[in-house]
Amino acid sequence: MIKVLLFGRLGELHSSSSLDIKLDDSIKTAGDVRKKIATDFPDLGRALDEPQTLVALNQEIVDLSQGLANGDELAFLPPVTGG
Amino acid sequence: MTEVLVCTEDFDLGEEYQNLCAGLPGAGAVVTFVGRVRDLNEGNEVATLELQHYPGMTEKLIQEILEQAKQRWLVDRVRVIHRVGQLQPTDQIVFVGVASAHRKEAFAAAEFIMDYLKTKATFWKKESRRDQDDKGKNQSEWLEMKGSDIASAERWKN
Repeated sequence: MIKVLLFGRLGELHSSSSLDIKLDDSIKTAGDVRKKIATDFPDLGRALDEPQTLVALNQEIVDLSQGLANGDELAFLPPVTGG
Repeated sequence: MTEVLVCTEDFDLGEEYQNLCAGLPGAGAVVTFVGRVRDLNEGNEVATLELQHYPGMTEKLIQEILEQAKQRWLVDRVRVIHRVGQLQPTDQIVFVGVASAHRKEAFAAAEFIMDYLKTKATFWKKESRRDQDDKGKNQSEWLEMKGSDIASAERWKN
């Protein structure tokens, strides 16, 4: 099981700002998780698919090919606006 | 004094200035910047601004920005405070303070830190407007990074 965090408007496209996803033979990478979310929640999936959306694994920016392990925290980050 | 603080509480500029200078007789230049919530943003009257962040990652990213600033310029002390939560027009959002021997370093480092805070740190802002929709609900929108902010950060890449 991994924890997926959704920030900014991504959290509002879903009923909650986090969800748990179970890893298995078809869900091994960050990209697989994105695909799984797109299947279950198409609106959220479309937003995750936008090129500006970044992915962080355990608080480090990674790309979608990144492999996952149980207990990981995977976050989808829409464009930031600090300051 | 930690260099990075992300919190809901307001800050006191005078107190921050004193802390920035304390015990640094060689710091002849102290630059402080305060960002506030505007009442008008791109023509919209702002009612509230909600700031969300990624706890842990935000502090780490800001610390990385400060380390880069310290490598580029000779600075004696730096401090960043960024507020999160529900804010209103005129509220203070962000403080950047830099103490250095000379003003050029202090100004440049403060600008660099602000530019990178705008474009790299994991904050998200939701603006709620005074305008109401046909159901009487305040209109709100997650803000996007401005092109001018991106251009401003780009100039440090050399």
